[in-house]
Amino acid sequence: MSEERETRLFMISPRSMLTPDQLVRMIHAFGKEAIVKETCYGCLVEGPRSLVLEIRDKVRENYRNEVFTKIRAYPCSDPRRCRAQHGTRPGFAQLEEEWQLLSKIQYGLEKVEEGAKYVPPQEKKRIPVNDFKKICEVH
Amino acid sequence: MKVFIDPPNSLVLFDLVERFGHEPLSTMAAIQERVDNLEVDMPPMNVTLDDVVKGLKYAGVEVPSGIRGRMALWGPMIEEADAAIVMDDCPYSFGCVGCERSNLMVKYLIKRRGIPTLNVTYPESDEEATNFVAQTKEFLEALK
Repeated sequence: MSEERETRLFMISPRSMLTPDQLVRMIHAFGKEAIVKETCYGCLVEGPRSLVLEIRDKVRENYRNEVFTKIRAYPCSDPRRCRAQHGTRPGFAQLEEEWQLLSKIQYGLEKVEEGAKYVPPQEKKRIPVNDFKKICEVH
Repeated sequence: MKVFIDPPNSLVLFDLVERFGHEPLSTMAAIQERVDNLEVDMPPMNVTLDDVVKGLKYAGVEVPSGIRGRMALWGPMIEEADAAIVMDDCPYSFGCVGCERSNLMVKYLIKRRGIPTLNVTYPESDEEATNFVAQTKEFLEALK
């Protein structure tokens, strides 16, 4: 992983009351020398890796289960990807799909913090022939 | 530990692996290397000769080129990984020859390497998501 440049995508869960504007203002308020770009789903942060990780940790301190992050391959405003410069955005369909899942994951993280454990799902069993016959006879 | 995630560009899996203290191996990092260091027009759409050679290690010349291109990115990461998390039935992870066969190939390579692997299904409800997060947490904490 590159140490020189890291672009990180911060996405807000739809269950959260946080807005992209509030998130960007908060990151600006940290006073770090990183590029922050507001987007419809949250924001992009770009800078040296150590600095970006510092920002990630601070965001997690404030909004532990509401903001999700991953790295992004292309830098902010890259003409090959940025829509402002008519770039393509091939990964956006997946981001949109995962954005919908984030509310469930946020719920899951909150429950796990409260102490929820993994419960193996019940195995599906075959119906005995006699039970099946009764079902068939009723209908 | 280095944990390979499948789908390799999943936001949820990347976040959870980092959150529970491991390093995720993802497509984004592999593409970033190419964006920063190589003078190719638009990775991963454009590849270098080295990528083609790397891809040939995993898939022969007769298979669709899309599989070779993808394996050139993912193959070395699977070899580097200490563990893997595979999410099955993702609504965005489907396709025909290139995409689906690459997905199957990834699952096969992970199985062949014999590293600790967690297979989870895409959560459809809050309860399933709680189970998914708890299962992932237990798996990642046990790796340390």
